[in-house]
Amino acid sequence: MRPVPAGPEGHMEAVPVLGALSALVVASEVLGRLGLSLFLPAFSSVAAVWWQVLVTGPLLPALLKSLESYVKGMVPAVAAGVVAGLLLGRYRWLGEVFDPFLNMMMSAPLAGFIPILMAIFGISDTVVVLTVFLFSFFIILVNTRTGLQGTPRSLVEMARSLGATDVQILTRIYFFAALPAMMVGVRLGAVNGVKGLVVGEMLIALVGMGELLIRYGNTFLINHLYAVILTILGLALTVSLAIQALDRLAIRWK
Amino acid sequence: MVPDRAVMASERDVALDIRIQGVSKSFGSVAALAGVSLTIRPGEFVAIIGPSGCGKTTLLKIVAGLVAPDAGTVAIGGTRVTGPGPDRAVVFQDFALMPWATVLRNVAFGLELRGVGRRQREEVARRIIARVGLAGFEHHYPHQLSGGMQQRVGVARALAVNPKVLLMDEPFASVDEQTRRLLQDDLLDLWAEERKTIVLVTHSMDEAVYLSDRVVVLSPRPARVVGEIQVDLPRPRSSKTTRTSAAFAGLVEDLWGMLKEMQ
Repeated sequence: MRPVPAGPEGHMEAVPVLGALSALVVASEVLGRLGLSLFLPAFSSVAAVWWQVLVTGPLLPALLKSLESYVKGMVPAVAAGVVAGLLLGRYRWLGEVFDPFLNMMMSAPLAGFIPILMAIFGISDTVVVLTVFLFSFFIILVNTRTGLQGTPRSLVEMARSLGATDVQILTRIYFFAALPAMMVGVRLGAVNGVKGLVVGEMLIALVGMGELLIRYGNTFLINHLYAVILTILGLALTVSLAIQALDRLAIRWK
Repeated sequence: MVPDRAVMASERDVALDIRIQGVSKSFGSVAALAGVSLTIRPGEFVAIIGPSGCGKTTLLKIVAGLVAPDAGTVAIGGTRVTGPGPDRAVVFQDFALMPWATVLRNVAFGLELRGVGRRQREEVARRIIARVGLAGFEHHYPHQLSGGMQQRVGVARALAVNPKVLLMDEPFASVDEQTRRLLQDDLLDLWAEERKTIVLVTHSMDEAVYLSDRVVVLSPRPARVVGEIQVDLPRPRSSKTTRTSAAFAGLVEDLWGMLKEMQ
């Protein structure tokens, strides 16, 4: 029905990604077999251990635990980031009030706040959830706001001239004009959220994949350690690709 | 198209006049308009022309209710303008189409904002899309259309809300010359049928004379009305008969004479 041509972009992106990954795998295998260092294991041995820890070991429960914290942190971060970004972009004075705070939060090493969260919430999943939130919320907010501020003035005037209310202009013009930048923010925020997840879990050292990282690191189980790291990288990549796919679906008009 | 015309006839036939009195507007320290006064009769087609940057567009936006004047008033059909209203619709120079919406949704947007149901507003939109020659393009996105087609969508969107006053801000300035001429002729046809009051801001002397009943000339910033030309060329007009006439050439020359003095 809709005569939008399906572009070849999807295939063209997959090729270099797969190429780079396989080059990395081959390099790791070669270096590992040379036995240069304990810290450079061959990919095949890491893969074998990964499968073993996933199926029989603690990796799958840890992954599920981490995913739970991740989703609990990301969903509110996306919702709050988008709403706050729209409002701060729409109402200039609000933006000006919050600008110093935002600049601080964007440049601050957010991991430094985790001890404060731990002091407040104790050593709990809540701290991890909040860390995920903090690591993604501000990125989503700032991108949404930047996107909104790029709205062509004539689109807003067009809507006003047709009698649109402020709410209608926000939800039907600004929101969609901001959507491409917003989706970039969500992708960057989601990937950074994985970072927050791991940092949070490691600092608490009691839950999820962060706990495994600490445990395997302290006991020099290097293959195990790499297996967890690969899982985390896989998670980040999956999240990023999933949001890119969502992005293409949401922004069909380009 | 036919049954609905009867319904709209009573409204449509009451075209509205526009009274602009002593309108001034400054942006910071820059004075854009300094006491512009102008009266436009119901159903009249008026072109506003002036040096670039003289505030023509600002004047149009004040009439549209998008910009508030610092001083002076605008009244449409006797009612003072305090903001945008359903009696007016604007056609924008850059088309102002929502890139994320299809032609159909863009054209129906004014009705959507007014809470008209989907079925009803799309029915109106389809009819007007056909009217501006875009039947078959209802589900295209703006980027799939040429500039001329995009502005047809812009005109259709304005017509869809059935305004009594059509405000056009250099509507054909960003399309090529051939397309512009086609759009101009279509606009003449449309106006002949609908008899809306049209205010057209343009920088083209040819366009102003070809389309309008009267050309109003603004001075450089801060703009004031410095003169006007009655265009008593016979209608219906067409390129073949109108543009080749000595009277047309004479009026364009008169206009150029007025504008040249201000350069």
